[in-house]
Amino acid sequence: MMATKRAYYAGVRFAPYDLVKEFVFALAAVTVLVIVLAALLSSPDVPSLTIKTVATQTPQNYVQLELDSLDGNGDVAGYGPPYNHQSGSVQYIGPVSVQNLFGVHIPVNPARDYVLGPLEQTRRSDPALAAALQTFRTAPATTQSKWEAAYNSALLKAKQQGSKLTIPSCSCGPVTLMMSRLLALGQSGAMDGLLLTSRHFYQTDYTRPLLFMNYTDAMANKATKYNLLGSTWGVMNETGNYPGQAWLWLYTLLYQIPPYTTAWAANTDALAILTVTILSLLLLLLPWIPGLNRLPRIIPVYRLIWRHHYRTGGNG
Amino acid sequence: MDAPAHYFHWGFILISTANLIVIALMILVFAAAILVPYPSGKGKQR
Repeated sequence: MMATKRAYYAGVRFAPYDLVKEFVFALAAVTVLVIVLAALLSSPDVPSLTIKTVATQTPQNYVQLELDSLDGNGDVAGYGPPYNHQSGSVQYIGPVSVQNLFGVHIPVNPARDYVLGPLEQTRRSDPALAAALQTFRTAPATTQSKWEAAYNSALLKAKQQGSKLTIPSCSCGPVTLMMSRLLALGQSGAMDGLLLTSRHFYQTDYTRPLLFMNYTDAMANKATKYNLLGSTWGVMNETGNYPGQAWLWLYTLLYQIPPYTTAWAANTDALAILTVTILSLLLLLLPWIPGLNRLPRIIPVYRLIWRHHYRTGGNG
Repeated sequence: MDAPAHYFHWGFILISTANLIVIALMILVFAAAILVPYPSGKGKQR
């Protein structure tokens, strides 16, 4: 084996090469570059949006979302899989819905998760709240709905002054106290923690707070301000004056053009993913696709790369 | 760099200056990779 190798390399000139040295130099250069650029350019520093921020800056919107969670009129309640069995946000590719195929595997019950659950956790230190919860739970469903509807009407006439929300008196039963306590939980920052339900040491499941935040006015306003909406090429953009994810241009482009924005608007996400998947497969399998694999003959970029070879009489 | 980004808006196209610069640089690198000769010299191109 060694003799064959020696014969193979006979006459080939060898030069010493220090791979470790090159690695160390490259590492040092990249480290210096990262430190210098980080010091010079800093990073986008937009304060994160929390439930506390929403409850403090837009208390009326926050309480409205809590009430919608309780009475089942919110967007989360009608979303559909993977959160529940509704159909509000279910998308289809023809007759097939991938969402429905995977089913409900992250169950979210808005009334339990956003209202009753957090209140239950604080009732021990609050006898008035414990009594209100007991009254609410033992009331017939029709009475609960009547209280909720009355509170909804009162909330529309509420006055907001800074973080303070004044609700006109109403026949809302225990709902008034429950909403008041939820607002206090939100404004103290406790709700941000109460919606995290992971049983693991490290918290990785932010589904519930993110779902709640997604429907707040504050989130929509911020996304609009920084051009982060789907309709403004959002996934390509950054909050600061930084380049974003430019490589997502094709995927984002689909959200700007018909029929994705018109006839297919109800299923844009599913159809955009399908389109990009098909295009990616076409690219991946290009050498085996008849017709497309002849493209280099029509666009001979390879002749530019290997121009020396072809100038000196090469064929191909 | 933390200031709000500047955007170019042509019809349905909305792109930040920073993204535009990155895309322009990528096109430049692609063109250079094709057009710039190998450093080993004319006679030794692979």
